[in-house]
Amino acid sequence: MNVLGFEWIKMRSISSPWLTALSAIFAGTTLSMLGVSDLIGVSPADLPDGWDPTAESLKGFLFAQLLVGMLGAHSITSEYATGLIGTSLAVVPARFRLLAAKTTVVCVMSLGTGIATTLLSFTAIQAMLAGAGLASAGIADPGVARALVGAMLYLTLVGLMGLAVGVLTRSTTASLATLIGVTLLVPAIAPGIPGAVGGWLQHYWPISSGQAAYRVVPVDAVVGPELGLGILAAVTAAVGTAAFVSFSVRDA
Amino acid sequence: MSWTKADSKLMGAMCIRAHGLTKRYGGKTAVDGLSFSVQPGVITGFLGPNGAGKSTTLRMLLGLIRPTQGAITIGGRPIAELEHPARTIGALLDARAVHPQRTAYDHLLAFAHAAGLGKARVDKMLDLAGLSNAATSRPDQFSLGMYQRLGLATALLGDPDVLVLDEPLNGLDPEGIRWMRSLMRSLASKGRTILFSSHLMSEMEITADNLIVIGNGRLIADSSLAEFIKAHTSTVVLVRTAAREQLARALSDAGMRFKAIASDTLHVAGADPSCVGGMAAKEGITLDELTTIREPLEKAFLRLTRSVTQYEGQLA
Repeated sequence: MNVLGFEWIKMRSISSPWLTALSAIFAGTTLSMLGVSDLIGVSPADLPDGWDPTAESLKGFLFAQLLVGMLGAHSITSEYATGLIGTSLAVVPARFRLLAAKTTVVCVMSLGTGIATTLLSFTAIQAMLAGAGLASAGIADPGVARALVGAMLYLTLVGLMGLAVGVLTRSTTASLATLIGVTLLVPAIAPGIPGAVGGWLQHYWPISSGQAAYRVVPVDAVVGPELGLGILAAVTAAVGTAAFVSFSVRDA
Repeated sequence: MSWTKADSKLMGAMCIRAHGLTKRYGGKTAVDGLSFSVQPGVITGFLGPNGAGKSTTLRMLLGLIRPTQGAITIGGRPIAELEHPARTIGALLDARAVHPQRTAYDHLLAFAHAAGLGKARVDKMLDLAGLSNAATSRPDQFSLGMYQRLGLATALLGDPDVLVLDEPLNGLDPEGIRWMRSLMRSLASKGRTILFSSHLMSEMEITADNLIVIGNGRLIADSSLAEFIKAHTSTVVLVRTAAREQLARALSDAGMRFKAIASDTLHVAGADPSCVGGMAAKEGITLDELTTIREPLEKAFLRLTRSVTQYEGQLA
């Protein structure tokens, strides 16, 4: 039995994962470019405090992460939507093995998308910044390589989180709603929530803390990069474990 | 002749056996203490009205859902414990359960990998299913018949000992039905175990050797088709004559039950033709027709399942 081959052919033989990955790469980069475009023409002295050209160049992750998450979710929800899951499980009744193979394939796709989005976005934005005479970052600058690797891992974890959400919800729509809430809504409204809850969410909400992984210049409101990525990884592992348990015990 | 261990394994190994199989959803019982066995070398029909629990039973066989009680096994083991599931059991549950954008070739190639098989097997299956020309087409352009062919090709990839088909004749054109039937027949003659479900007795009548009939999740009959016909259908003698009234009088004098069907036709219950013919001869009545009519199997099936059919009220 070649379960990994089984999952890989299922992934590569339809266009939607590839279109989603390409959309993440190009939409992510375009959004990053839009994000810095209003800074072009600003004098270097007027740059905001704590100017972090590396993190600034990855603002497009805001949208790219949603697509990568959906890439993960859709790899399983499409099987539930078509009913293919029944045929898959009849051929590979070992459910843990089947989901482990799917997780591997989603991991590779997300990592590949993460690497491409990170490098393209970083390169394009640094070129724009340098062209405008603003402080830019180079890959050899202290902390930058670490931040870029952090960014790639961040998107990979979001892809795996998406798969776990897809396994738990079994529905593309429900996965999309969940991922929008988790990756966009909560981080967006957290600063507006008064008191300890708002502060705690800004620090420790796995998406917010995970985004610290690609900061070079630390920010007060957020945890450090290693801890940040660690929190996201731990939460992804926890949700992933729930997904494996659910996949193993629930009727298909 | 003495049986070797390999022989007995070959003969007995690939029976499907259900034992006290039960599935409850909340308070509703979909399958209720089913016990039956399906033998290799013959085509076994799994018959029941809609909602009888056929699909639920087959899904438990395939390990997709877990029995509340009891078990269903292949060669004595639940599917999860099979060493080579794809080489042991192949199933077609829902022909449309394929990704609409994945070509027939890629679909089969993926499942071939899962079964530990290569491209050569994929080509062979495409050929067998008559899909060679559609190999690179997406299923969203397929007719239902082509979906069925692709589903069957998927089920047969691992050359399995056991083939399970849920309503395989649904939506097929006459040519497709003939193809599916002859394929089942040839696989059965090679010693495979074939279980196919249907809600139509007429399909069973011309395809199945053995019958398992269920209604409302319970076993109603488990026998060969011939035994089923003998046990559950009655016969009447049709007799047609211009002298209907005269014959009717003679019959009632002899204490026989009959029913007038038309102005010149009677149905005589529980008699054989020679008895009716003899009586007519004695009375000097000329008969235009004398035949035995067997009650349609469909009618016997409906009668058997009526008491337990849950959707009957909605269908009426």
